[in-house]
Amino acid sequence: MCDKSAGSALSHPLLSDGNKPYSSLHYFIKMLLRPKIRSVHLLFALRITPARYESSAKEGVILQSTSNNVYENLAIEDWIHDQMNLENKNVLFIWRNVPAVVIGRHQNPWRECNIPLMRERGICLARRRSGGGTVYHDLGNINLTFFTSRKRYDRMENLNLVIRALKALQPKVDVQATSRFDLLLDQTFKISGTAAKLGRTVAYHHCTLLCTANSSLLPMVLESPYRGIKSNATPSVPSLVRNLSDADSSLTCESVMDAVASEYSAHYNNKPHVHLIDPMDESLFPGISQKKRDLYTWEWIYGKTPIFSLKTTFQILYQNSLVDFKLSMQIKNGYIEECSIDFPNHWLPKDLSNDLQSALEGCKFCPTETAFLVSTFVRTYPQDDEVHTKCNVLCEKLVSIM
Amino acid sequence: MAMRVLSAMRVLSTVTLVRRPAQECRLVWRSCLVRSLATGSQLLSSALKFTDKHEWISVENGIGTVGISKFAQDSLGEVVYCSLPEVGKKLNKMDEFGTLESVKAVSELYSPLTGEVTEINGALTDNPGLVNQSCYEEGWLIKLTVDNPSELDDLMSEDAYEKYVKALED
Repeated sequence: MCDKSAGSALSHPLLSDGNKPYSSLHYFIKMLLRPKIRSVHLLFALRITPARYESSAKEGVILQSTSNNVYENLAIEDWIHDQMNLENKNVLFIWRNVPAVVIGRHQNPWRECNIPLMRERGICLARRRSGGGTVYHDLGNINLTFFTSRKRYDRMENLNLVIRALKALQPKVDVQATSRFDLLLDQTFKISGTAAKLGRTVAYHHCTLLCTANSSLLPMVLESPYRGIKSNATPSVPSLVRNLSDADSSLTCESVMDAVASEYSAHYNNKPHVHLIDPMDESLFPGISQKKRDLYTWEWIYGKTPIFSLKTTFQILYQNSLVDFKLSMQIKNGYIEECSIDFPNHWLPKDLSNDLQSALEGCKFCPTETAFLVSTFVRTYPQDDEVHTKCNVLCEKLVSIM
Repeated sequence: MAMRVLSAMRVLSTVTLVRRPAQECRLVWRSCLVRSLATGSQLLSSALKFTDKHEWISVENGIGTVGISKFAQDSLGEVVYCSLPEVGKKLNKMDEFGTLESVKAVSELYSPLTGEVTEINGALTDNPGLVNQSCYEEGWLIKLTVDNPSELDDLMSEDAYEKYVKALED
């Protein structure tokens, strides 16, 4: 299919070098006015491998998301990873999100971030498919995803491109890449974190770039309030972070995105073309809605957490006296596999306590499901108000650690 | 002025392109190649077969043991997490069966053959670094039934794999 359509692709403005460059705004307006033509054009930009490019030659396509939804933008990454042939083409995807915490593929969200605070503030939690540690996103942070064939995957080359872009904006800015592929400002403060995914034929490397992010909220959401979690999940390495705009006020998201796009285009000897894309455009990205739904499921975000154990103690104030509890759980695929709750014998009848623990085994380690399960459980003791009250306060405590 | 900056960038880009062969991993791959294959062949039976994605399989009594080649583990760097399938999982040839995480990168693993997972290497849960230290022995990943023995013929012998790796380098 690619070869047959190559002739048409060559004459297409998005693929030719000699055409007038489209600015983001210009192209966006064009998209609004001519949606059908836009779809066809971008299909060429995304899928066609022009015959004129030899295997060693490369073309660089720049896409920028019009969405600030983390699940939609991660879905675009999945779509490009799964659907595009990148034998002769590299893609840079630029995206930003409203406040979100994004954990790595093999991480434990209860250990990495402050889930209760995030629920309170409406901050999304997402799990990406790449490795690495937990990061905070908001509109003051840029995400750059460099897609290549697996053979051409080279994180340091991408980071060097970002550094060149920053230096083009502000030659005095001191930004260096570390051996762990972080970018440090003034050799101390992390401004960018990296992660990568290597698939069958396609690889991508994505990195964050803090420009004007909320630096007071960031450390708060990346600090877990929970203790007693034991897991082999990959831990994040905490770092001192800073915004690029603190080094120089000209380094805003907009200026940095433009500079990175220019540098990327220059790398391929192209004039800067940034194609604005809507991640929810099924006609352009068939199957994208399903990919978004997959990324939004509890089973992916929480259920993919590597097996972990939780050992903790807490107290419950009941009728003016404090009762000590010891909780021990094993959670596999997000489900409570083993559960043991120790408390003074007199507090609840032994049989009831055993039944409650058994009921919790097999339950999702999730507030809504646990609350539902406990409320169903207490209904099996319809005559006993004291049991109801005690189970409910215990449930509140359990839910607060999920 | 803008044009001048752009021209300067193009020059930089050209330099980067010329330097491309000396990328991360590649040097490591090259230096370990000869040693890796020699070591591997002495440690396991002659039935060692390789995929083009750098998994190996050795078959004994109808059960295949799968791991990644030394070439692959060298290129990945320190493995910090192994995500492996449940026992009983049915795999088709080249299905993704798990992932390895190393230096912030997640790499997919592909089944060399069609079969059902009979065992996973539990030692990797606490010690994923075994994949680096002993990729042909203690660092194996899964065992699976060999449902279509003829599929083995499609895999590379050690000699063929060695040539394949050399070709990748060139």
